[in-house]
Amino acid sequence: MKQLKVAIVLVLVGGLLTTAAFFMAFFTAEVQTFGTVTLDKAVDTAFGLAPPELQPPGGGVSYQRPWFSQKIFYFHVPVAEASFLVLIISAVFSVLFLVKRRPQDDTKAKVAMETALIFVILTMITGVLWTRASWNVWWEWEPRLTTYFIMMLMMIAYFVLRNSIEEDERRGVYAAVFAILAAINAPISFLITRVIPSNHPVVFQSGFAGSNLLPFIIAQLGMLALGYGIYTARMSEELLRERVEVAKEELEG
Amino acid sequence: MAPPKRMSGWRQFKAIIRKDIVMELRTKEMLTSMGLYALLVLVVYYIALSQAGANFQVRQIAAGLLWLVFIFTSLLGLNRSLVHEKDQGCLDALLISPIDRPVIFFGKAVGNLLFLLIVEVFIVPLFYFIFLGSQSNADVGGPVWMIVLALFLGSLGIAGVGTLLATMSVNTKGKDFILAVLFIPLMFPLLLAVVAGTSAVLLAEPGYAAVFWQMMALAAGYDTVMLLAAYGLYEFVLGA
Repeated sequence: MKQLKVAIVLVLVGGLLTTAAFFMAFFTAEVQTFGTVTLDKAVDTAFGLAPPELQPPGGGVSYQRPWFSQKIFYFHVPVAEASFLVLIISAVFSVLFLVKRRPQDDTKAKVAMETALIFVILTMITGVLWTRASWNVWWEWEPRLTTYFIMMLMMIAYFVLRNSIEEDERRGVYAAVFAILAAINAPISFLITRVIPSNHPVVFQSGFAGSNLLPFIIAQLGMLALGYGIYTARMSEELLRERVEVAKEELEG
Repeated sequence: MAPPKRMSGWRQFKAIIRKDIVMELRTKEMLTSMGLYALLVLVVYYIALSQAGANFQVRQIAAGLLWLVFIFTSLLGLNRSLVHEKDQGCLDALLISPIDRPVIFFGKAVGNLLFLLIVEVFIVPLFYFIFLGSQSNADVGGPVWMIVLALFLGSLGIAGVGTLLATMSVNTKGKDFILAVLFIPLMFPLLLAVVAGTSAVLLAEPGYAAVFWQMMALAAGYDTVMLLAAYGLYEFVLGA
């Protein structure tokens, strides 16, 4: 039961940190404010231009909420990085399972993959919101989006595979083999989608102000705490389930 | 007393391939089903393109269409090839016999590659005559050996990774459905590279050779990494 308490604390801490980062993104990060700001070029189509009387006379464009869609960065990127990390953890447990054949490694790999799938879906949702706001499209076959889409399909395939096998040992081995292949495949997908000839412009703004780094790091820590919290909660559930199974068998026997 | 002499790896490999070929010559099941299926896909393409109009250049999307035939056909073929092994107890017999596990992988993978290549030899010219032969710019396009190279590198990856995945999927409840679900996302980078390479040759726009070689390098890299991974993991799959 200690595990469950740890999980609850971690989820609370993660929620607190990400919420804090969310507010910091609006109030302390550099590119912010809800007022009108003049920029030297059109940057963001999420919200309209400022009314004509507020437009600057010479050059530049005034926006009502400049860089507003950029705020999703503090949620989207930490989630994406966390999802990648959890996928790698799942692959590591898969390798451990293949080598040592301990059932708990299989359970850990499965639970890590579940957590990774949650994070990948969150990444996809926030990503689609941002592409709509900033690129004015719902979907774009851009390298990162495509890679995440494929990763999501592979994770879903992992669970489809698990569900269609009944023997525990075989299910563990097959799932582990597929998890390792998926983890190898993800970076190759990213590389190849980046270099294939494409008609679409890759639109990524870079550059990072110091005051933006703090909310980003806080959000990242929050996401990691959240991820570990979800993982621990699911693990304690799995352990309880196993105990119930053992108890049932003892009662029957 | 001297220990009984074991077959060398090469002879074991040849024996597995011979078994597949002999079985195919007797039943003719794999090639007829794969070939017929490919023809049906071509008919479906005709239906899909029938309203496109005379100005539509099929050549622009021909590489993608061509690879699509082979994805569907290889899914069918891979599933069949391993279902045979399992249903007739051949896989168990192979496991009992003193054959090294990696040899089983290479034997099955090369057998699958062989059948896929035979289907391609028939389907590629047919595809050309049906969809590209009558087009106004039928004679443009790069050298044929470039397309052959792209087809080979693509089929190599399909057969190698596909053999591993099919060995897993025949032992599940879903069989062919599971194979498709596992196979297509894993094949995604390879297919993207070979379609881009084939398309570059078919369209033969200026500077296509550079694009082609870059794509072939990517496909070869994918093949190397994934075949090594598949080779390393096959033993675990067979053992389970």
